[in-house]
Amino acid sequence: MIIRLASALLFVLLLAGWEVYCRAAGVSALVVPLPSAVLRTLWDGLAGGYLLPHLWVTTVEMAMGLAAGCTVGFLAGVLLAEVPVLRRLFYPYIVASQVVPKLALGPLFIVWFGFGMTSTVVITALICFFPLLENTMTGLQQVDPNKRELFRMLRATRLQTLLRLKIPSGLPVILAGLRVAVVLALVGAVVGEFIGGRQGLGASIIAAQGMMDSTMMFALFIVITLLGMIVYQAAAGLERWLLRRPWKG
Amino acid sequence: MSFVTIEQAGYGVPRGGTILDRIDWSIGEGEFHALVGRSGCGKTTLLKLVAGLLPPATGIVRIQGEPVRGPGAQVGFVFQAPTLLEWRTVLDNLLLPVSLKRRPQPADRRKAEELLDLVGLSGLAGRYPGELSGGQQSRVALARALVTEPPLLLLDEPFAALDAITREELQDDLLRLCARHRTTVLFVTHDIAEAVYLADRVAVMEGGRLSHALPVPLARPRGRDVRYSPRFNALCLELRRAMDGKAESVALERAS
Repeated sequence: MIIRLASALLFVLLLAGWEVYCRAAGVSALVVPLPSAVLRTLWDGLAGGYLLPHLWVTTVEMAMGLAAGCTVGFLAGVLLAEVPVLRRLFYPYIVASQVVPKLALGPLFIVWFGFGMTSTVVITALICFFPLLENTMTGLQQVDPNKRELFRMLRATRLQTLLRLKIPSGLPVILAGLRVAVVLALVGAVVGEFIGGRQGLGASIIAAQGMMDSTMMFALFIVITLLGMIVYQAAAGLERWLLRRPWKG
Repeated sequence: MSFVTIEQAGYGVPRGGTILDRIDWSIGEGEFHALVGRSGCGKTTLLKLVAGLLPPATGIVRIQGEPVRGPGAQVGFVFQAPTLLEWRTVLDNLLLPVSLKRRPQPADRRKAEELLDLVGLSGLAGRYPGELSGGQQSRVALARALVTEPPLLLLDEPFAALDAITREELQDDLLRLCARHRTTVLFVTHDIAEAVYLADRVAVMEGGRLSHALPVPLARPRGRDVRYSPRFNALCLELRRAMDGKAESVALERAS
C-alpha cells in the first residue's frame, strides 16, 4: 500500500517537475507541451466529443482484428498440433513468417483493401494470429504423457482427447498467448492507422503531427495507453477467471 | 480356466534390445497376482502388454480367451502417478471413464459416491485434485479405475510415492475394493512386503524374464497383524532370496 502511494507520488512529482521546468526554461510547446495543457486538451477532446469517434474506431478495429486473428490462430494451432504431417509441412513457413515484420506489409494491404478500417483490421488480425498459433501448438503438445495414456486406456476418441484433455490442459499456455496478442492488437491497430487510416487514434496522431500539435499528440498517447491498460487488464481478468481454481494445485 | 493368459509374449525396441523375453504366465479368475522386480526389468512393459497399450512383438496375451488387440473395456488401469485432471472435480474425475462413453446417469453418480465412501473420501466429491493430499489423489485414481467395475484391474506401482502409513491404508482399501466384485488383479511393485501382503501369487521378474513364482498361502482377509507375523516375514525373506536368485525351490522351468 505504501509502495503504491509512493509510486503515485512519484508520478505526481515527475509531472510537477516537468511543468515547472518547462515554464521556467520557456520550452516551446511544440517540442514538449506542458502537462497542464495536455490534460486540458485531453479533457476538451473527451468532453467536446472530438476524441470519442476516433477512440471508438480504434477499439472496434482492435476488437475485430483480435477476434479474427485469435480465432484463426487458435484453429490453425489445433490443426497443426493434431496433424503432424501438416506441422512438418508448414513449420518452416511459420518460422519464416514469424520474422517478417507484419507492419511492413501495411502498404501492401492498403493496395489490396484500400484506405480505412479493413486494412487495419487485417494487419491487426495478422499480428494476433501468430502468438495464438504458437501457444496453441505448444500447449496442445505439452500434455502429460500419463494423461494421454489414461485417455488411450479409456478408449477416448481423438475428438474427446482434444476437447477434454489437450485443450483444457493447454489452456494456461493458450491464454498466455492471448495476453500477448491483446497488447500486439493495440500496436497493430494504431500503427495500421498510421499507414492507412482515415479515422482512429493512430490517424489522429498523424493529423496532429501535420498540424504540429504536440499537445494533442501527448493527449492521444494518454488515451492509447489507457485503452491498452484496460484491454490488458480485461485479458488478465479473463485468464484469472478461466483458470480460477483447478490449475493452482 | 484362467482369466489372463500370457503366452510366449516378447517385446523389444529398435536399438534398445529385448525388454521382455518370451513370458508365460496365467492368472486365474478372481486371483490377485503381484509382479516384482528391480527398476527397468520390464515389469511395466509387461503390464502395458496385458492392458493392450503396447502390442507384443512375439506371442500373445489373452483375456478370457480373447486375444488383446488394444485397450479394452474389461480392464481398469492405475498408473504410477494419480493422473487426475486438475481442472475437473473429484466426482468428475471419478466419472471420466463413464462420461467418455455416455452422459453419466444419477445411478453412475450414486455409484461414484459410494466408491468415494469406500475409500474414505466422502464429502470431497466437489473438491479439485490440487486440493487433495497425495494419498487422497491415489484413492481417487483407484476409485476411478473401478467405477466401471472392470473384471480385471492392472496397477503399476500405484502407491510407490506414498508414505508408509498411507500406503498400508491404501493396500487395505485395494484389497477390500477388489474383494467386492472378485476382481482379478495384476499388481506391479518393487516393494517385497507390499507384494506378499497383497497377492495370492508373486512373480519375480529379472532382465525381461520371469525367474521365480512364489505362492502366498496367507489367509484372507489379511489385516495389520499379518504384517508382523513370523509367517509373513518368512515369505518376504523367501521372496527376497528369489529376487537374488538363491531360492531354487520356486524357480521357473524354462523350455528353452
